[in-house]
Amino acid sequence: MAVCVAIIGKDNSPKFFACLNPDEELSFQYKVLSSLDVVEEKLSAGNKAGSDLRELYLGMLYSLETHKIYGYVTNTKIKFIIIVDSTNMVLRDNEIRSMFRKIHSEYADIVSNPFYTPGEQICSKPFLNNIRNIMTGTV
Amino acid sequence: MMHPATNVPNQSELPAELCAKPLALVGISGLDTVNNATHKSIWELFSGSRRVDRAPVLFKLIKNDHEFPVIKPKRNSYDWYIPKGILKRNWMNKHLFEIPAVMVILYDLDWNDPYWSEKMIECASRVQSMRAALEGRDTRIVVVLIQNVLSIPANEDSLASDRAIALCSSCELNSGSLFVLPHGDHLQGYIIRLENAFYEFSQTYYHNTAKNVKSHKEHLNKNTHQFLLVRHQFKMGFLHEMKQDIHIAHKHYTYAYNSLLEIRIVDTNALEIRTIAGFINSKLCRLFFSLNLPRDAISHFKSHIDKFKSRIGFQELVFEHFAWLSKQYAMFGDIFDEAVKMGLPAVQTQHPGLYYQQAAQYAIIRKRVCQELCSQIIAYPQPDPLEGGNSMEFFGQRPWRPGKMSSEPPDPHLESNGIQAVQFLEKLANHSNIIIALYGLAISQFKTYKCPRTRRHLVLQMADEYYNSKDYGKALTLLTHMLWDFRTEKWWSILSDILQKAIKCAYLTANIQDYILLALELLGDNVTLDIDDKKRIYENVQRILKKQIPYGDPKLPHDVLQNAIIIWQPVFQTQTLNFQLDMANIQSCVEIKASFLKETYEVDQKIAAEIYIKSTCPFPISFQGISVLVNSPNLSNEYSINRKENKALSFQNNEMKRFEVEFMSDPNNINKQIQIGGVIVIMGNPSECYFELKFSNSCGESKVALTKQNSNKPNFDQIAPLIVATIVPRYSKLRVNFEHNKPALLGEWYEIKVQVDNDEKFSVDDFKIEANLVDEDTSDVEFSLVPTGSIEKLPVTLKTPAFLPLKGKVTASVYLRGHKTGEKNVEVKITYTLNREQPVISIKREVITLPFVQPFEVKTKFISFIMADIKKLYMGEEFGVMPTIHCMSPWPIEIENTSFEFISPIRSLEPDNESQVAGNTLYTNEDGAELYLAVCEKSSEHNVQIGQYSVKWKRENGKEGAISHTSIFGLPCEWIPLGIKLVAPAHGLVRTPMIITYELQNRSQQLIELDVAMEATEAFMFAGYKQFSISILPNSKRNLQYNLYPLLAGSVALPKLTLSIPENTVEGPALREEHLKDLLERALPTHLYVMPQAKGNPIMPEIVKLTI
Repeated sequence: MAVCVAIIGKDNSPKFFACLNPDEELSFQYKVLSSLDVVEEKLSAGNKAGSDLRELYLGMLYSLETHKIYGYVTNTKIKFIIIVDSTNMVLRDNEIRSMFRKIHSEYADIVSNPFYTPGEQICSKPFLNNIRNIMTGTV
Repeated sequence: MMHPATNVPNQSELPAELCAKPLALVGISGLDTVNNATHKSIWELFSGSRRVDRAPVLFKLIKNDHEFPVIKPKRNSYDWYIPKGILKRNWMNKHLFEIPAVMVILYDLDWNDPYWSEKMIECASRVQSMRAALEGRDTRIVVVLIQNVLSIPANEDSLASDRAIALCSSCELNSGSLFVLPHGDHLQGYIIRLENAFYEFSQTYYHNTAKNVKSHKEHLNKNTHQFLLVRHQFKMGFLHEMKQDIHIAHKHYTYAYNSLLEIRIVDTNALEIRTIAGFINSKLCRLFFSLNLPRDAISHFKSHIDKFKSRIGFQELVFEHFAWLSKQYAMFGDIFDEAVKMGLPAVQTQHPGLYYQQAAQYAIIRKRVCQELCSQIIAYPQPDPLEGGNSMEFFGQRPWRPGKMSSEPPDPHLESNGIQAVQFLEKLANHSNIIIALYGLAISQFKTYKCPRTRRHLVLQMADEYYNSKDYGKALTLLTHMLWDFRTEKWWSILSDILQKAIKCAYLTANIQDYILLALELLGDNVTLDIDDKKRIYENVQRILKKQIPYGDPKLPHDVLQNAIIIWQPVFQTQTLNFQLDMANIQSCVEIKASFLKETYEVDQKIAAEIYIKSTCPFPISFQGISVLVNSPNLSNEYSINRKENKALSFQNNEMKRFEVEFMSDPNNINKQIQIGGVIVIMGNPSECYFELKFSNSCGESKVALTKQNSNKPNFDQIAPLIVATIVPRYSKLRVNFEHNKPALLGEWYEIKVQVDNDEKFSVDDFKIEANLVDEDTSDVEFSLVPTGSIEKLPVTLKTPAFLPLKGKVTASVYLRGHKTGEKNVEVKITYTLNREQPVISIKREVITLPFVQPFEVKTKFISFIMADIKKLYMGEEFGVMPTIHCMSPWPIEIENTSFEFISPIRSLEPDNESQVAGNTLYTNEDGAELYLAVCEKSSEHNVQIGQYSVKWKRENGKEGAISHTSIFGLPCEWIPLGIKLVAPAHGLVRTPMIITYELQNRSQQLIELDVAMEATEAFMFAGYKQFSISILPNSKRNLQYNLYPLLAGSVALPKLTLSIPENTVEGPALREEHLKDLLERALPTHLYVMPQAKGNPIMPEIVKLTI
């Protein structure tokens, strides 16, 4: 079960933010923002090395005392961030990967929605519900 | 209140001797560095400039009467010995700085010293006393003789070697311990050699000392001597480190650490174990980095933290635990950073900053715990339970129960007093400073490792700490510096959080400018803030504008608010408050876009700019004035909007208004750009307090057109402002016509007639027409003002009157002559001043594209005397030159005259060269040809230049003729000795005799002999030599005459004359058969016209009559 999911635009502005505990949102925002440093570094390093472009999953970005942060970048440089409790041993790399893939497909759906303007914040309620379900693992 | 015990060192701090790099200690005695210059220089060379390449040795100056630490009596059995602690405080210091591994005694003594024996005895006594002082130690004693005389090698100097042996024996030293230091040149080299020798000795010393410690091991018992096991391993590790054997040192430290972990931790010994564990861990990590095993260092550190994280000890002193944890992280950060400075590469995810950050986190926890635990403590207990804290025997023990074993039950009263004392001291500590310092270290590391966002987060946390320590000014500075990046990345909720903190700081420091700026940003719709909070801020802004003190945040504590109000009071003392605020970088609740209406403005038009203002403030907001800043290259001006619509300057939420500003342009700015520099909005009352808000006019990213269009009102986001406009000259209303016949022909003066009609509404002064070439080099086109051509410099000013009346008309001509084909652009520029109340300079430019073409082409043919084409000229033989003029001009060309001037050696054969084509008019593609007879007088292998052909021509109906010259090149010219010519009548008549004569000419200096033969034909009967030999004398002619009687009419073949060189000619000019053949073919006609006989009596031609 993830504690926080964030979607960050290509200009590094937040597009969507969901936390299990809304009181912690601000501190999670800081964490996500800090992890963007690692994402940026990985992306710029990846360009140089010419690494596999099809691999969107970036792996673990930060391992903090309390949380672990994972990253995923789409081809259009939209970043997905998942924060997991450090004590959570159930979620392995594979589970995180599959969560990211689900989020990606949800994101693709919302972008295809004619009522959503790309680049704006996502405030669709069904989208939020779907993401919450992915976070809690009920899907 | 400062208490004597406050100088008890913090238990979590690492002692300096632990962090110092262990170096072998070498004692130096016998040097008088104060009075003796030689000694001083020696000492400076020993102790100074300790570079990396020098041996790892520490020199210590030791006086002769120095007392070394007393050696402890050797213990034979450990059976009844119970150690009271793990590591003694004085032990490291003792070995680092007190007990030398090598003791060097320097002594001034030359081998040939006159008082040799006395001095030798004195030296020996010094050695003895030093030996006595070091009794029981393994310290190596070494004597160094400082000599002024440079000695020759010892084995050759028997005196020196004898005396050296004597000195060694009297000092009871072996010969390896005696050194000589010549004081003279290369002193530094000697010193370095000595130093290396001492280092060798020290190795042995530390090795033996460590072995000595090891020998105790077998006496130890695991149950009672756990502390000793740790202590001895630590000592061995330390001694090996002094020996610079870091591998073995590392091994012993690992044993020590593992033994330490085996000790059961209870509340009473937690501090000691933790402290020692910290010591050993720091040593281990440092060694891991030195051994280039950074991963092991990191993993060891992590497991170290994991092991001790939960070993808290006394619950009442839990802050000590967090202080220790914080210190552990900071220490590891330091070690890591040191290693990085030595060349270890660190990465973004693993660098010292992470540890400093964690250290700061623990420091914060320490502070929080301290506030929980120590807030009640107000008095320091008496008697001082921390008395003697500095002189404790062991590291990490409580001063109120030193050396007690954990098994003994503590005295509860003493215990609680001690805890109270520690808590009291903790309360006095300046936690914020510690935290801020750690954040400072972390921030600089994160900056190095390209983590701008994490760094920003740390800066914000630092600002929070400044805020907590009531340093609001610094907090405000840090916060406002961080805002920009969050704005550009649009993290609005974080931005709102920072803004709220910042406005609190601005309020608490009575910083009116920042307060207004932050308030304007907080009122914007990007900020996610409760409407109630926004309302409070809005009201505060209104209060400031009325010079009233704003209300503080009700959540702030009362005393803080009280202080703030005191600071605010003097702010409003001054009469008027006037501030300029730069709104360029903030996302305020007022959004502004300013734009020119057009991209270009003519200089006599008014420039119009529009300003859109939109307010996203949830409450009405009003302004006193709006003006726009326009920058031109020379100066910038401010233009305000029309103040008549003053009432309209108030805005409701999300209301957008448009204003227009009009102003005249400056004629100096013609062809220059003007730019909207910004918009200034005035807020407040000029008599009390007002703010000039200066908005920069950024182009702003106009959002993608996917947003819905609102047709009747322009959408603010979609306005793409036009911030740059160009001032152009006014549009001229003169009518200009050009009259000319394209294309221009090369060489002629081509006329362009310019006709200007004044269609302006005013008369025109300073009228001027200039012609010029457009960006070309001017060498191949010439300009003239008269048709006969007098070349003028560019640009050419046409002859026109300076004044042009209303509806007036002016015509002028300019003449051009080109010398190269191709297109040329001719610019005609008309400048004038319009006669009106405000004279305006106007400029009109027209460009004419003018093709230049060749009028005609001259081709030349060369023909022989009998009108056949020739490939060669022969000296002395006549030939014809036939120039042909091929007309290429689209316009008819009239040939006025032609002439041919021959150049020597070509000579004309005609007395007067009258042109044969003069007066003719050639149309396109027509040819005009003429023929000149000439002769060449000199042979040449190359083409001979024949002469120059000049054609004087003009356009049909043209004004002036032009002359074109063509140089004609001919053919090579050969010389042959023989010339031949047939003299014959133009025609003959049937059955009427006629005479033909062959003239043979010898042009050489030799006799020419030839065989001549005449072949008969059907058409003629002839009389004359049919076959015979002739001789022609040098430079003379010979004529052969034949009388012909034509039998047939028509163009009939003449009898064929053949010439041949007789065989067996003695010698003659270089005449060959083929030359003769060519000559005959070239020079002799083959046919002759013979007319039928006339009716009646034929008239005998005169010449025949004569011959008959």
